[in-house]
Amino acid sequence: MLITKQNNTTASLLTTSQSKQKICCGIIYSFILFFNLEIASAQNNITRSIIFQPYFGNDTLHLNDTLYQNGIALQIEAFKFYITGIELLKNERVVYTEKNSFHLLDVSEIKSLTIPITTPAKVKFDKIIFNLGIDSLTNVSGVYGGDLDPTKGMYWTWQNGYINFKLEGKSKVCNTQKNEFQFHVGGYQFPYNTIKSIVLAMNNKEIMTIRTDIKKLIEETDLSKQNQVMSPGAEALFLSEKMKNIFSIQ
Amino acid sequence: MKKVFVLILIASFIILSFKSSNDYQFVVPVKWPKPFYDFSKNNLSNKKIELGRALFYEPLLSRNNTISCSSCHSQFTAFTHIDHSLSHGIDDRIGKRNSPALMNLAWHNSLMWDGAINHLDMQALAPISNPDEMDEKIEHVVMKLQASKMYPSLFLNAFNDSIITGEHLLKSISQFLVTLVSSNSKYDSVMRQESDFTIQEKNGYKLFKTNCAECHTEPLFTNLKFEINGLPIDTILNDKGRMNVTHIPKDSLKFKVPTLRNIQFSYPYMHDGRFKKLSEVLTHYTEGFQGGVTLSPKLQKKIILSSNERVDLIAFLFTLTDRSFLFNKDYSYPKNIFFPKKKE
Ligand code: HEC
Ligand code: HEC
Repeated sequence: MLITKQNNTTASLLTTSQSKQKICCGIIYSFILFFNLEIASAQNNITRSIIFQPYFGNDTLHLNDTLYQNGIALQIEAFKFYITGIELLKNERVVYTEKNSFHLLDVSEIKSLTIPITTPAKVKFDKIIFNLGIDSLTNVSGVYGGDLDPTKGMYWTWQNGYINFKLEGKSKVCNTQKNEFQFHVGGYQFPYNTIKSIVLAMNNKEIMTIRTDIKKLIEETDLSKQNQVMSPGAEALFLSEKMKNIFSIQ
Repeated sequence: MKKVFVLILIASFIILSFKSSNDYQFVVPVKWPKPFYDFSKNNLSNKKIELGRALFYEPLLSRNNTISCSSCHSQFTAFTHIDHSLSHGIDDRIGKRNSPALMNLAWHNSLMWDGAINHLDMQALAPISNPDEMDEKIEHVVMKLQASKMYPSLFLNAFNDSIITGEHLLKSISQFLVTLVSSNSKYDSVMRQESDFTIQEKNGYKLFKTNCAECHTEPLFTNLKFEINGLPIDTILNDKGRMNVTHIPKDSLKFKVPTLRNIQFSYPYMHDGRFKKLSEVLTHYTEGFQGGVTLSPKLQKKIILSSNERVDLIAFLFTLTDRSFLFNKDYSYPKNIFFPKKKE
């Protein structure tokens, strides 16, 4: 038999001793936490903010507003994307790496567009690097919580994998149901790996504002021909290449 | 100050090194390969396994609360479903494939007949969202469980958190699935030199090793690879197998080699359930190959079996039946959770 079995009496005895153990651990951990905090503040860390500001050309992007691209009206209804693997560099050397760096940004939730990072106050940097999308190792390593939780709606279930970004809207030129276009872009396997690394110049700032101009993607696509991308493949790869260019320094 | 800190650190290490009674020890059967599943990312505990077991039998996972995983994966048939060649889901909708038997999943490096799912933790999302199976959204499942009477406390006991998340839901289902280990058939006891094959079974084992073992490799009775075994394509289903995932033409009609453990009870057979009996399967392997299908190099040599040899081979396949698996109470419907006895 493979299953480890306990008879009921020992099982219940052990659970009481276990709960004592838990309390003990709890006390000890709160101590450790306390000391850690002390050490952290001694090192003089500061919290910086990376703010992604959504634009459509020169105007701030508001979801569901009527926008114009070459005189053709369109609306953006949803725009969500993963920013991961944030690093700061000085003279091409990494001086800061965010731990557990996975962030889901959603234009409909303003708060999600600001990423706070805690760095040593004195750190000097001249570049920021981050990824748009989820790396392949994370894609094949099972389930995660937080922003990576599959309940966030950024996950394909029939052939599993993360959706790196979602852009949805309407335009008269789309010959589809309700004139909708839907870009769900992901895919982590060669040759259709859609994660993109983005490098921007950034000087020692506490508040780093990153312009996120979705017009730069729309300009590059012909919505009358390309309006439904919902699985990994060549079209997704094309969109991810274009999407890379929407980020710039304010 | 520093000393106190070090002391506390040491003390906490000592306490942590006592494994708590809730831990579940996953035992790898003797001479089996190392499991693929990474237990360090999802530490097994009895409470999480219990929770996963409840979820496996929980119809709330489907849109109209009628279908549970066990609807298509029932224990007595080695966790496949038996009356249907193709899976039978919500509102009597018929799926596109036969539900595979579930066992020894901790060794699987991909899931589904075509390997479309790359990790066991993510597997449950597929049937939950499939419109022909459970037709539900994981977000909504979480809401339903959170609103239920029993689940918040089960999640609290298992994860120290009564707020239910997709992560915890999927991890507990995985925990239950990896405990479904079948390694106690007559074949296994013969290998452990605790009993003997009959002459018939022994001869069957020999035939098996020459003709089948390259794909249905011991001890799992699958090499877990994608192979073409020569089935002519069903022109209505038009299922290209592995090629659906890789888009590479040479993967057309490749399917994941299924285990042959408990094969006596897991009929009907093949990805589309086209055969009801093992004798039909053997007829396929000896004379069923059709032109036009590129066979696996492992099947290039024609398999010839006399009628006696067919009987022997089937006798051997029956030694793979593991009653301690099929009737293991730890896998069955958890009555005690769904209908707890009131304490007097
Ligand atoms: C409507 C029937 C149905 C339901 C309900 C169902 N399954 Fe399945 N299951 C299938 C079918 C069919 C397949 C094979 C699908 C394929 O290959 O595309 C499968 C495959 C699997 C596999 C992969 C096995 C392997 O060897 O690759 C696992 C694991 C599994 N199911 C677990 C579950 C769990 C857990 C649930 C509940 C959340 C569930 N199933 C609900 C029909 C069902
Ligand atoms: C080239 C590799 C290969 C060889 C050799 C091979 N098989 Fe298979 N077998 C497969 C594959 C692949 C499948 C699944 C095919 C499908 O469903 O389309 C399968 C399916 C089966 C099934 C159905 C299992 C189930 O759960 O549905 C049985 C039974 C079976 N094989 C028995 C045998 C026997 C007996 C032999 C030797 C005479 C044999 N196989 C030789 C690859 C092989």
